[in-house]
Amino acid sequence: MKNKKLIWILLLLALWQAVALSGRVSPLTFPSLGMILKALVSSIMAGELLSQTVFSLVIILEGLLIGTLLALVLAIVSRTGDTMNSFVDTLITLAHPLPGIALLPIIILWLGTGRSAIVFIIVHSVLWPLLLNIIAGFKATPKLYSDVGRNIGLRGIKLFYDIYMPSSLPYLISGFKIAWARSWRALISAEMVFGAVGGKGGLGWYIFKQRVFMDTAGMFAALLLIMLIGILIEEVFFNKIEKQTIRRWGMAEK
Amino acid sequence: MKISKRFLAGLLVLIMILSTGCAKPAETKEITIAEQFGLAYAPLQIMKELKLLEKNQPGVTINWKQMGNTAAIREAMIAKEVDIGFMAIPPFLIGWDKGMEWKIAGGLSTSPVGLVTNRSGVASIKDLNENDRIALPQPGSVQHILLSMASERELGDSKKLDNMLVTMAHPDGMNALQAKKDITAHFTAPPYLSQELKDQGNRMILSGEQAMGGEFTFIVGVTSQSFYQDNPQGYKSFLKALDEAIAYIYNNKTEAVKILSKAYEMSEQEIEEYLDTEGVSYGTEVKGVKSFADFMQRNGYISKTPKDRKEIMWDEVNYEE
Repeated sequence: MKNKKLIWILLLLALWQAVALSGRVSPLTFPSLGMILKALVSSIMAGELLSQTVFSLVIILEGLLIGTLLALVLAIVSRTGDTMNSFVDTLITLAHPLPGIALLPIIILWLGTGRSAIVFIIVHSVLWPLLLNIIAGFKATPKLYSDVGRNIGLRGIKLFYDIYMPSSLPYLISGFKIAWARSWRALISAEMVFGAVGGKGGLGWYIFKQRVFMDTAGMFAALLLIMLIGILIEEVFFNKIEKQTIRRWGMAEK
Repeated sequence: MKISKRFLAGLLVLIMILSTGCAKPAETKEITIAEQFGLAYAPLQIMKELKLLEKNQPGVTINWKQMGNTAAIREAMIAKEVDIGFMAIPPFLIGWDKGMEWKIAGGLSTSPVGLVTNRSGVASIKDLNENDRIALPQPGSVQHILLSMASERELGDSKKLDNMLVTMAHPDGMNALQAKKDITAHFTAPPYLSQELKDQGNRMILSGEQAMGGEFTFIVGVTSQSFYQDNPQGYKSFLKALDEAIAYIYNNKTEAVKILSKAYEMSEQEIEEYLDTEGVSYGTEVKGVKSFADFMQRNGYISKTPKDRKEIMWDEVNYEE
């Protein structure tokens, strides 16, 4: 499977290069791979791109942490009874369809244009899909498991931690995958709409800056970096977690 | 086997898309003009309303596009969707430096621009500190370059204020300044400039002319090489219509104010006040390109300066060093 992916990527790159060199497109719209790589290397050497990537990743991690904590709390709250269940359900129904970017003008009014505004948008984009997945995971836990848990004396948080959590882990992991992708999008689009956060800015701001200074190769370099980070997280990080947990436990296909 | 068939089909589709997308017929029956927001573009509203270009060039459809920022106009001109674009000099120079085939066709307006602050005790950019946030349209905009020029002269480093910038369109920047929260200064142009200055708590601490150290043309008209070459008649008519529109503002002021008041949804009195503001003028003369280019090259915003005016202006342009 992996080898096939690599072949596809190489083919796409070759196609890209062929178009770029065909002479039918301007390098201002369609730079060649060499130009993109050069832009990538020179931006990294200047220290700018890496520090902006780190800035983006840190801010995403912060949003992911807060979002995950909130999602767990809300998920547990929703399990405490019908009233709370319907409350959390209503929250999800109301907030989930709202794109973070649509909230931007209001967030600027509430929190200004600082770092907290971006974190807020990331938390919003992470919280709801994650919460939905966790709740679905809880619901899919066979009654037999929780009965066994209660039988051996597990109650409250202990029951949740030993039975519901491991049993709903496949849902949790796929929830994280969605949350991760959403937070990237939220961060980058927010930065492209209202600019640098806290003076420095992350990858979205970097792309925007390349746009206003007409560095097309630089824009593609940033896109390439975003893809690379995405592949790294997906193929290395999530894969590893899945291998060590749900695949080892026989809960998912190898 | 299955995959290779699918792959071939996909490749075919791609090739088809590429070959159709590039083959645009050379059509001179249409002229597309792109402008931005604000009173600095007033002659274009006159040209639009009185159909001056249509009169000079019968049988041609004129499309007007109002775009949110200069980067979008540049991209549209690269994609050959726009023939004539209006913008400030620095964004034009960035495009020229990057190899865009376009030149200035003429000036449009000069206008007062300035940095307004809501923080008491700030009398010049020297008094700004790292907690201040300056809103302006975007890096590389004329506002940003003017601020950097002042920063170079007064603070000794053109990039000293760069970490305090927040990118905002003029109306958003005005709202943020008036909200008196994190944004403490706004580099803007009319009508936002005069609206902000009506508030007692706000003051202008830097004008465009101070920053530049002289006069400069605020907005210029730029046309692509292909439009200039393939449609010389359209180009000539455009220049003529532009002259007529500017003359109309000065010779038929009452009528012009009426048209502009409708176009900008402002009262006639406000428009008249604006037209009488010191520093506001419309004309096709171009000023200040060299100062902008020298500064931008010195500070790495562009890689080269034009060796002579022919590189960046069509022959007909009325240019003053």
